[in-house]
Amino acid sequence: MKTIKVMLNVNNEKVTLQVKPYETLLETLRERLSLTGAKESCSLGSCGACTVLVNGTPMRSCLILTPEVEGASITTIEGLKNGEKLHPLQQAFMEKGAVQCGFCTSGMILTAKALLDRNKKPEKRDIVKTMSSNICRCTGYKKIIEAVEETSKK
Amino acid sequence: MDENLKIVGKRVIRSNSYAKVTGGALYTADLKLPGMLYAKVLRSPYPHAKILNIDVSKALKVPGVKAAISGFDAYGVKWGVFRYTQDHAMLPTDKVRYIGEDVAAVAAVDEESAIEALSLIKVEYEPLEAVFDPVEAMKDTAPQIHEQYKNNINIHIHIEVGDVDKAMAKAYIVREDTFKAKGEAYAMMEPYAVVASYANGYLDLWMPNAGPHVRAKALSNLLKLPLNRVRVRHINSGGAFGGRSEVAPGDLVASLLSIKSGRPVKLVLTREENAMCSRQVHDIIATVKTGMKKDGTIVAKEYKTIYDGGAYSSTGPIATSIPYYVYEECYRLPNVRYDGYRVFTNKGIRGMYGCHGRAFLAGNEAQMDLMAKELGLDPVEVRLKNGLTAGELTATKSKIISCGLKDTIIQAAEKSDFKKKWKKHTRNKGIGMGCVAIMCGFPMGFRSGSSCYVKINDDGQVTLITGMVDNGQGNESLAVQVASEVLGIPMDDINLVNADTEVTNLDPGSYSQAAAYVGANAVKAACEDARKKIIAIASKKLGVPEEEIDLKDRVAYSVKTPDKRMPISWITREAFFKGEPIVGTGSFFPDIDLEREWVSKPEGQMAGTYSFGTSVAEIEIDEETGKIKVPKFIAAHDCGRPINPMAVEGQMEGSVGQAGIATIFEGNMWYKGFLLNPDLLEYKVPLACDMPDIETIIVSSNDPKGPFGAKEGGLTIRMNAYSAIACAFTNATGMLFEELPLTPDNVLKLLEKNKGGKR
Amino acid sequence: MILPKFDYKKARTIEEALELYNKHDGNAFYLAGGTDLVPLIKLRLLQPKVIIDLKGIDGLKDIKKMNNSLVVGPNITLFELKQNPFIKDYFPCLFESLEATSCETLQMRGTIGGNILQNTRCLQYNKSLEWRTARGFCLKMGGKVCNVVPNSKSCFSNYCGDNAPSLMTIDAKAKLVSAKGERTVRLEKLFSEDGRSPFTIKPGEILKEIIIPLKKTKGAYEKLTVRGSIDYPLVGVAVTVKKDAAVVAVTGIGPSPHLYEIKEINEKSINEVADWAYEDARPVLNAVLTPLYRKKMVPVLIKRAFKRIGAGGGR
Repeated sequence: MKTIKVMLNVNNEKVTLQVKPYETLLETLRERLSLTGAKESCSLGSCGACTVLVNGTPMRSCLILTPEVEGASITTIEGLKNGEKLHPLQQAFMEKGAVQCGFCTSGMILTAKALLDRNKKPEKRDIVKTMSSNICRCTGYKKIIEAVEETSKK
Repeated sequence: MDENLKIVGKRVIRSNSYAKVTGGALYTADLKLPGMLYAKVLRSPYPHAKILNIDVSKALKVPGVKAAISGFDAYGVKWGVFRYTQDHAMLPTDKVRYIGEDVAAVAAVDEESAIEALSLIKVEYEPLEAVFDPVEAMKDTAPQIHEQYKNNINIHIHIEVGDVDKAMAKAYIVREDTFKAKGEAYAMMEPYAVVASYANGYLDLWMPNAGPHVRAKALSNLLKLPLNRVRVRHINSGGAFGGRSEVAPGDLVASLLSIKSGRPVKLVLTREENAMCSRQVHDIIATVKTGMKKDGTIVAKEYKTIYDGGAYSSTGPIATSIPYYVYEECYRLPNVRYDGYRVFTNKGIRGMYGCHGRAFLAGNEAQMDLMAKELGLDPVEVRLKNGLTAGELTATKSKIISCGLKDTIIQAAEKSDFKKKWKKHTRNKGIGMGCVAIMCGFPMGFRSGSSCYVKINDDGQVTLITGMVDNGQGNESLAVQVASEVLGIPMDDINLVNADTEVTNLDPGSYSQAAAYVGANAVKAACEDARKKIIAIASKKLGVPEEEIDLKDRVAYSVKTPDKRMPISWITREAFFKGEPIVGTGSFFPDIDLEREWVSKPEGQMAGTYSFGTSVAEIEIDEETGKIKVPKFIAAHDCGRPINPMAVEGQMEGSVGQAGIATIFEGNMWYKGFLLNPDLLEYKVPLACDMPDIETIIVSSNDPKGPFGAKEGGLTIRMNAYSAIACAFTNATGMLFEELPLTPDNVLKLLEKNKGGKR
Repeated sequence: MILPKFDYKKARTIEEALELYNKHDGNAFYLAGGTDLVPLIKLRLLQPKVIIDLKGIDGLKDIKKMNNSLVVGPNITLFELKQNPFIKDYFPCLFESLEATSCETLQMRGTIGGNILQNTRCLQYNKSLEWRTARGFCLKMGGKVCNVVPNSKSCFSNYCGDNAPSLMTIDAKAKLVSAKGERTVRLEKLFSEDGRSPFTIKPGEILKEIIIPLKKTKGAYEKLTVRGSIDYPLVGVAVTVKKDAAVVAVTGIGPSPHLYEIKEINEKSINEVADWAYEDARPVLNAVLTPLYRKKMVPVLIKRAFKRIGAGGGR
């Protein structure tokens, strides 16, 4: 089967790839680009651990075929920090103890980032609603919500 | 040193958080090794069948396939946690015993070729009658799942203390209840994965695990390789909760494939495979009979509990007894008869979960509340009355060392305004309390202790070498924080090499709640050893007695005359000059009765110490739909002393989801041997919007032997949150649940039943 | 989990999409958000030769007022659609069902067209190939038996869309286009009531527009789930009230939503519809809560919806 040429802007870097037509964005990121921050946890779109930003919108990359997002700007967790400076959400997650096993963390942070990018002063219930898109088994969500709240207040 | 703690007790950023928030933390499925192959496992479609033949020859012909194996390529060794439970070949050659059991596997250059090859493996089965219900499985007419266990009884634990019959006869009230609970799923976010790399006679392995040393030993046995040739390496782990403690078939599969192909092999399970084929949680049926005095004192307990163990022993007697033990460690039980049966069925293998036995606890606690009410007492009074205190012995003669139980009960009750709310409950609003004790490290023979090594660079930074393992609880950071305190250097100056069986020494692993009490204690001991040596040199160099010297901010200084100081880096260089570099070694072995045996001698000191906790849950029941809402939850935990309060809170808060909301959400659903919800959509892991408002209370009972007084950090809530919700339900409705989880359909059924009867 | 082999084609126009479909002899699936389709392919429930991406087609994402109707493009995401002022002002039932669908992230990817046309679901259907092979293929997979109800010749898989029932209560119509031309049907006509093949859409037909008469309504959507997000409805009830009349749609039970009309709303007529809907509901053990319970919840949710709307008959 012929591969498809796809041009993506991943974490502000243009990449041109030859991908399988039946390749998911998650696969492309993890296997071809070695960006393993996005995780495969359920494979069926139920958990959000694979979330990346596609043109700023949080999406489950395990449900996206890479050719679909030709030309798009993709942000993964690896692309969040600015040089050595962490994104405020990354800093807040660490400081608030919102990271335990860490497997859901990249999806959580990116989902939160998208929220704060479109709503600078969310109410707590908006944060809870948004973050209810992602499953965490370890934290009980309290410190995750606090980390997002705190960041939104800065 | 004790009360001027510099970093212990502070809310610090965990040492491994940075890698996790930047995507740099590697988990097993993230690993890429040169020449690595991808493995896929062929699994049994039958719950019970004889294996007549396995033919992998056609699979080997698929281009890109480098190895194909079955149980016939293994070494005929059966694994078991105990010598008397060695029933697990990992890759069977005689029979398959559950749907999804590993039967054969291939390794190929890519996943597609592996999938294709798998479809060409021919296995001939002769289906046998299967049994899925543990009560049915115990009957004489049931199919025998293992030759050696008659009536499919894996383990029978019998504990007899005092004279139960006499005590029951003299009791003021006696009550007997039978209840059931569906086993849950661990549903950890990381699906199981293994990378095995056999090269130059050494086998390296990476997999999420809760005890690398036990893992390496098991594989050494299974593969007939010397222990030093099997190296389980450090890797980040995406949650274990008790489900990653034992060696897994996948470990053997990946190892055999790597040995055969001469290349590294990666096996990653799908979510469905993780749910069906790794570990599940025991279903239980329990009958609890309790005798109480008029003043609420428990005088006798009689138990018959059946645990559905699935197809193999797993922890066997441990799982069969722990539910009772966490209860007897919490309450004074003068007369006890406990009969626990772990029974085989043709379903996936069941393991320990957040310690183990919360449904059992929940029934005990709710029953206790109903009996207390009859006597005119409230749950707080009856728990304070029966709760153990420091210095007492449990029913099976294990001494309670430090005990903050009373504090956790009182503080949780005060914070939640428990007594008032309990009295003023309505039909659809209730409040409930659950208590439990957790053993900090249970008997694991010679593996019960931990050792740590410390090396210091000539620049004064440290490498800590310990077998402790982290599955997300924060054990790695715990080790570093303890070292930082003792050595007086910042956490960032401390490198950690942990959970690598080639380098690190024995450690019990994190699955018997031993990390703080045992593992971190060894770290403390090793650091104190190094500290002594540092202070000795400083004393000589500064001309100041050793007792006057403290270590802080990378400097050794005299407490009396602080301008007498020298950097620790200078001291380490001095030591190098002398030919005696500063190294520290330290160990900790808990004070346990090594004669104690789960089956043959269930008495004696069980653990070095116990943690205690109390959960309080407020619930609201929608009587039309049976849906329960949990608006508020208070969790109080006695961890001795919190090394990192944020980590302890995190454990408690996570437990409110995993064991609190789980009570009304979670349960595996079966159709015969088929798991109906092996995914993250239909298995209902609570989401942020489902969580109550949580308040956590940390109680410090300052354990005399724990590192800085510390004990395990939060597991009580992972057990008693379940009880709190069940008891809140009992408070509102006056009923003891019949079956858990209390999903809306179960609740509605109970409410309708209640309408008919009196309360 | 990797996908099986298939080719990917992006259509720039409807004509191109139709052409591509015909070229591949029906071995093709249309792709919008992919939140329903991709999991089905991963589980090997569907094995297309080619996926035809419709997201590049101009005009399918628009929403515009035309004459006295709101014309909604099928490719508009649920998230975008619920932000549209017409939806909140005119169609509160639809607004609520959009809000209740899945979770925020998936609302940003799922399209209204895809959400309407989602496949029916069953605990014993939405499983991997290995699971289903061990179990035996059921009616919906082309086999001869129902794995949930032995001896049944009907498929009891559940239609779990939240928004089709709301749309049905606001008189929505679907415009479909094929090589043969266009046709417009009431939304409820899209459902075949056969779980094996839940839609009456002809092979290759593309949903082009959803047309909703622009009339102000009152309404509510009640959804029964275990969790507060992500879950499909175990029972979903959509109610729209226009003056004294109401339309009720029940989803989540059985292969297609059930539709009921009330000509004059009062306590009696609401109870009648509630009883009627209860009778019609035939849930089986193919979702996580018991069938009898779900059946019982149908009238409960209907009455709750009416109560929230505050239209006559509330207590």
